[in-house]
Amino acid sequence: MKDLLLRNRYTLLVVTLIVYMGVLVTEGMITGREARGIEFENPYFDFNSADFEGIRERRSDNENENIRVEFDDTGDV
Amino acid sequence: MGKFAVLQFYALLKREVLEHRNIFIGAPVVVALLLLVAATWVATQIDQSDLAEGLRFVSVLFDGLSPFDIAPFIMLLAIPFYLTLYVCSVIYLINTLYQDRKEMSVLFWQSMPVSNLQTVLSKIVAIVLVAPIFYVLIIFGMYLVAMVWLTVLGISNDVDLVGIGYLFLAATASLVLIYISAVVTGIWLLPSIGWLLLFSAFAKKTPLLWAGGVFILVGFLEDFIFGTQFLANWVASRTSDPNQYLIFEFQSVFERVFNYDTLFGVVVGSILVAGAVFMRRFTD
Amino acid sequence: MSNIVEAKSLTKNYGSFTALDGVDLTIPRGAISGLIGPNGAGKTTTLKALIGLCDVDGELSVAGRDPRIARHKLMEDVCFIADVGILPKWIKVSQLIDYVEAVHHRFDRKKAEKFLSTTDIPANKRIKDLSKGMVTQLHLALVMAIDVQLLVLDEPTLGLDIIYRKEFYDRLLNDFYDGNRTIIISTHQVEEIEALLSHLVFINKGKIVIDSSMSDLSEIYTEVLVDADKVAQADALLPLYVRKLLGKKSYTFESVPREQLKTLGELHTPSVADLFVAKLKEKKHG
Repeated sequence: MKDLLLRNRYTLLVVTLIVYMGVLVTEGMITGREARGIEFENPYFDFNSADFEGIRERRSDNENENIRVEFDDTGDV
Repeated sequence: MGKFAVLQFYALLKREVLEHRNIFIGAPVVVALLLLVAATWVATQIDQSDLAEGLRFVSVLFDGLSPFDIAPFIMLLAIPFYLTLYVCSVIYLINTLYQDRKEMSVLFWQSMPVSNLQTVLSKIVAIVLVAPIFYVLIIFGMYLVAMVWLTVLGISNDVDLVGIGYLFLAATASLVLIYISAVVTGIWLLPSIGWLLLFSAFAKKTPLLWAGGVFILVGFLEDFIFGTQFLANWVASRTSDPNQYLIFEFQSVFERVFNYDTLFGVVVGSILVAGAVFMRRFTD
Repeated sequence: MSNIVEAKSLTKNYGSFTALDGVDLTIPRGAISGLIGPNGAGKTTTLKALIGLCDVDGELSVAGRDPRIARHKLMEDVCFIADVGILPKWIKVSQLIDYVEAVHHRFDRKKAEKFLSTTDIPANKRIKDLSKGMVTQLHLALVMAIDVQLLVLDEPTLGLDIIYRKEFYDRLLNDFYDGNRTIIISTHQVEEIEALLSHLVFINKGKIVIDSSMSDLSEIYTEVLVDADKVAQADALLPLYVRKLLGKKSYTFESVPREQLKTLGELHTPSVADLFVAKLKEKKHG
């Protein structure tokens, strides 16, 4: 069987493509894949200069939250 | 034995860089020089005091932000390098297993105790992990030149040099993100890498035509036989959104690599890479 | 193991063309074996099969391994030089030495540099800037610095000047061959290597025609310059091949005892070149 599959470059190419497409089609049928972009969130592509202020505010908010958490953990008011 | 294997693999990577100096070093250097020339020309068209004012504005804008907050914006300057790396990668991958068969040097390479698997893996590592290092170093060189020029401008126009220094730090920080983005993109595009390598190993002539032609044919056959378009869907999903190619935050790296679509891409890419490894036995 | 190559029923087809047609071959360890044959006979296919660069059907063992299964492991014990010009053109001499040193743990860099110091090859030149002869010198220098069991040479001196060719074989014999290593050479230039050989293989149209040590050959094959009055007697002994030589007829016989041939004329062992022609043009007695 191996000899047949690896007989020459053409049979090897066909076998590789059959396995590749077999996996692709099977996965697509099982998961019901559709034609869509896979979206990753990226705030920097929606940039405007107000966002710099937003980044600064978020950073200082995070720092304040950390302090609040510390108070909660120790039980101190 | 382990140390020897590492030295062997290092020699294979070194071979790739030496053989394809134009792709690893030449192309990004040309892009860097063109960008510097373009920036210099633009600067000569603008009044010096306006330039200095712009610098001051940028310094104020970035005040209070860490270099890693600013870095993503500077990353966008690297887009010409991304495009160059993308095009060069396609040229590299489609030629790398074809060229040495064409000029018969494959008989020498294969007379050495290096397996076909090692050979093919070294080419993937070279383009995904090693090429971006060169690109990042060259971009760093370009930023260095730009910062020297901006410093001179700053000194003669009474601009706070600390701000310029901060910009340079942010630019350096952006290089880390650029490198990570390139590597993660390489992993994301492993199916394309595998496809190009397969046809580079297969074709006796015009490997790019084979790669493109068979791709279209396989798409048609899938529709004809199964009535589905999963191949087309996959390609669309991997090329439709520029978001996918840039990572602006370290926190997103894990999610970008260890998600189902990327990992499935590694699986199907591995099938194609395995085909390329076996195809390497046909040296004619 | 006393044979470094053992091949049985090797077959290779390129479409409708049969390159190897049931080749059986044994080459003893320590031999200098010549693989002789006309163009298209199957020499290159055979040699490439021995080093795993060509998939063939049949049983094959080279230095104890099947080349089709673990070629790269076999290449630790075997080196290969093809026709002039397979070294990569873009690489510099020094970079090539660095590469071989890194990937081949039996490579002795000092030895290679010692061999190269006797040539005019500059270390910083690219292969494409070297002459054909220099490329062969370089390749041989690299190969001789590797401690291998078997060296396979496919027309290594093709297109080279006589000086480079002579130097090639001198170095091979004096600096590489030690009685334990085996060399297999394929060439058209039979006369050049005849004196070196201890073992001979003739191949024609994908079939092995002779596979024999040189000492056995002289017992099997006899050339007779037959006197004019003995021609009929000679014909009756079913010669392999007859040709005109110096006004007389030269008969080549296979497996006919010398005692029987003594009376016909002057006897001698045919040269490899003459034997080669005789086998190619073999008379069919039916």
